Amino acid sequence: MSSEDVSRIVEEHAGKPGGLIGILQEIQARYGYLPPDALGAVAEGIGRSLTDVYGVATFFRSFSLKPRGKHLCSVCLGTACHVRGGAVIAEEFGRALNVAPGETTGDRDFTLETVNCLGACALGPIVVVDGHYFSNVSPVRVKEILEKARNGLDNVEVTTDQRIFPVEVSCPRCNHSLMDPARLVDGQPSISVTVVFAGEHFRLHLSCLYGSYNVESEREIPRDALADFFCPHCHAHLTGGSNCLECGAPMVPMIVRGGGIVQICSRRGCRGHLLDLSGGMQ
Amino acid sequence: MERLESSEQFKALQKRIIADRDPQIPMVVIPAGTCGQASGANDLIRIAKREILAHELVTKIQLRVTGCHGFCQAEPSVLIEPEGTFYPRLGIKQMTQIVEAVSEGRVVEQLLWRDPKTHKRVQREADIPFFRNQRRTILARNEKVDPIRIYDYIEHGGYAALVKVLEQGNRRWVVEETKASGLRGRGGAGFPTGLKWELLAKARDGGGKFLVSNADEGDPGAYMDRSVLEGNPQSIIEGMLIGAYGTGATAGIIYVRTEYPLAIKHLVIALQQARALGLLGENILGTGFSFDIQIVKGAGAFVCGEETALIRSVEGERGEPRQRPPYPVEQGIYGKPTAINNVETWANIPVIISQGAAEFARIGSPHNTGTKIFSLVGKVKNTGLVEVPMGATIGEIVHGVGGGPAGRAEIKAVQTGGPSGGCLPAAMFDLPIDYESLSAAGSIMGSGGMIVMDENTCMVDVAKYFMKFLKDESCGKCFTCRKGTQRMWEILDDITAGKGTLEQLDLLEELAQVVKDTSMCGLGQTAANPILSTLRYFRDEYVTHIERKFCPATVCRDLFAYRVIAEKCTGCTLCIRVCPTGAITGTKKEVHNLDQSKCIKCRACFEVCNFDAIAGDAIIAVPPGRTSMERNP
Repeated sequence: MSSEDVSRIVEEHAGKPGGLIGILQEIQARYGYLPPDALGAVAEGIGRSLTDVYGVATFFRSFSLKPRGKHLCSVCLGTACHVRGGAVIAEEFGRALNVAPGETTGDRDFTLETVNCLGACALGPIVVVDGHYFSNVSPVRVKEILEKARNGLDNVEVTTDQRIFPVEVSCPRCNHSLMDPARLVDGQPSISVTVVFAGEHFRLHLSCLYGSYNVESEREIPRDALADFFCPHCHAHLTGGSNCLECGAPMVPMIVRGGGIVQICSRRGCRGHLLDLSGGMQ
Repeated sequence: MERLESSEQFKALQKRIIADRDPQIPMVVIPAGTCGQASGANDLIRIAKREILAHELVTKIQLRVTGCHGFCQAEPSVLIEPEGTFYPRLGIKQMTQIVEAVSEGRVVEQLLWRDPKTHKRVQREADIPFFRNQRRTILARNEKVDPIRIYDYIEHGGYAALVKVLEQGNRRWVVEETKASGLRGRGGAGFPTGLKWELLAKARDGGGKFLVSNADEGDPGAYMDRSVLEGNPQSIIEGMLIGAYGTGATAGIIYVRTEYPLAIKHLVIALQQARALGLLGENILGTGFSFDIQIVKGAGAFVCGEETALIRSVEGERGEPRQRPPYPVEQGIYGKPTAINNVETWANIPVIISQGAAEFARIGSPHNTGTKIFSLVGKVKNTGLVEVPMGATIGEIVHGVGGGPAGRAEIKAVQTGGPSGGCLPAAMFDLPIDYESLSAAGSIMGSGGMIVMDENTCMVDVAKYFMKFLKDESCGKCFTCRKGTQRMWEILDDITAGKGTLEQLDLLEELAQVVKDTSMCGLGQTAANPILSTLRYFRDEYVTHIERKFCPATVCRDLFAYRVIAEKCTGCTLCIRVCPTGAITGTKKEVHNLDQSKCIKCRACFEVCNFDAIAGDAIIAVPPGRTSMERNP
């Protein structure tokens, strides 16, 4: 972690409520834990002692001073989960991963933690792995959940998954179709748009499958970078949508054939999207 | 979204939104709060969209994705408006059928909710006992709004209360009306909200005053605040705006726990939209009234639900409580006057202003007005969020709304109030739920968690669970709380391991009293409640653990071993399939065999057996002179 990063984060939080806690949360969000150097740099940046910073970092449960695994597995031990056997589930995960709660596996694949209550009490015992909730978990399902996580819970088989379906779109200004039957992505006609990034114009082909995030681009766009999208026909800037629900970046609106609007996030790597079939106000 | 400059513009917008919607076009409502998403609501949304597009139904069917409706047990579910048809527990395939049926104006009879008692299908949500036996003022609005669309909120009367307040222009009236409503803090302590506001309004005004929405819902087993934040974040914002107008507060903070990512996401969007419309920020609706709200994320410390600890945490410090007085209304965040109210309290404010204090106060009982949301969870048939008038009895909730026990075991207790609350036995289910009655019975209202326990729940283990929670969460500032909770936990651990003595029960009671008397904040002062209430109502369970070295509920693992009761086992193989260690073997229709050396006592077989053929026996030999189990090895 560079000290510039820390000073930028410290500066952004100056005068905001939450202060130090907000700073530590942002560092942890980025690195998955609080690296020792970062704590030192924060102390220097906000003009407080390292003891103070360390004190706050160790007071709250959500901070970790140790690097965490690729997958985070949280077992809920709220009262409702407890009376339905949450503790046994936590043990079973511990056995399957060969770690105690709070620890990370040797290969840095999994971190196991227990949490006080995730607020999904009606469905206990609850386990959250990489942001995916598993309800009414029984001991015998533990291995299956871990296996799913290893294979990536966000991965979907675009050709067979019923939840994936093609969406045909057109430009919100000239209404010209943006579909490109000559260039296939995911075996379907792609959505073809012009992108301007770092002063260069080039084509971007997006999968038309709702639920697939596959993209083919003529030039590399670095992760987290924002690009501007244009209609290849009328050259209108595809803008004026809402801000991304995930990351806050501007979204790119397109008209859906059949009715409604689809918006996709303009940030490379962000999966934020919104398919709005109402077509009404807003 | 265009900024609104006056209340006239707001009313015109509301009119346009209402005119824009055709209520006759069927609306498919899919609840997708955290519980809904955990059950598969996102898949239903996908499929609904796929079907609507594939069959060109965009003008014939509307779709609304909402927060939680409360009937978590039935998730993922779908509600069809305007008829109110309710479909529980749907899969991808059934969703396809439903979209087709809705487009043809049909009802899919075989997918409707079925009453487990009468076995009859019930079509309308309002006719299902779970919903029929509630009075859903706050929760019902979750059905009407997509939380990421402020226009939905406005369409259904949102921000009308704020406009009413701004048009009236009488700050004192807001405080008086809130006082007259009798609303008491929904976070647990039950302090009159109007009184708190009056104190804040009168507090010296040098450099600003804070309003805080306490969304650090730390009580395990309670999640009504999450549901309101996720499902209707604008109602919290509107409530805070009204509060700010009445008290002269200058800045608002929503302190939300980091374990609620969806709530945080919806709040961020809601604040953005409210600002964009000119309902939040500078010069609201052109009236000169300014107020803005920021989100502060908690970092996972239960004690931060305590208001002075919350204040420390907002200031970026360790969340340690401090002595009161001075109370936060005198010296709060950065030393400035601060009023902290719970999420559900805020959600009630627009209701009070819209319908009037008198109307609000008609609901409930004289000193406990309005409705209260409870999270009805644990060993009950219908788990979910339940909203009833204050003063309803525990039995009305557990049996009337909850539908009674989840399995064959009888319900024996309800735990209310989280780690600061207590366990009330089934014999007391006639008790009206209000702040005073619960407190007199040795529990507290708390934020509204209601965890149902049946014969298979061990009350000693429950007490130990809460004590472990509290010893881990004690901030450590007061010695008696830090060490007292630790020692109480150790004693309970001894008892559940078969090493307890009857003398320790007296020691527990003594310790409990000391921790209560000498701790500074609510965490320590109420830490003993789970022990004291279980000792009061379930002392025999403690005695059985100590004298017979046996846990009748088969929870405390050192005190029993499972075996298969040959006379009852039908050889259905169900237990074999759920056993994670392969301890149970056997073939179909023959008595199964349980290998105790492989058994980890995870209860999976015990829970799943339909014939009560798995039983627990005591395993520790009891010294002569004491009663013992016949089956001791």
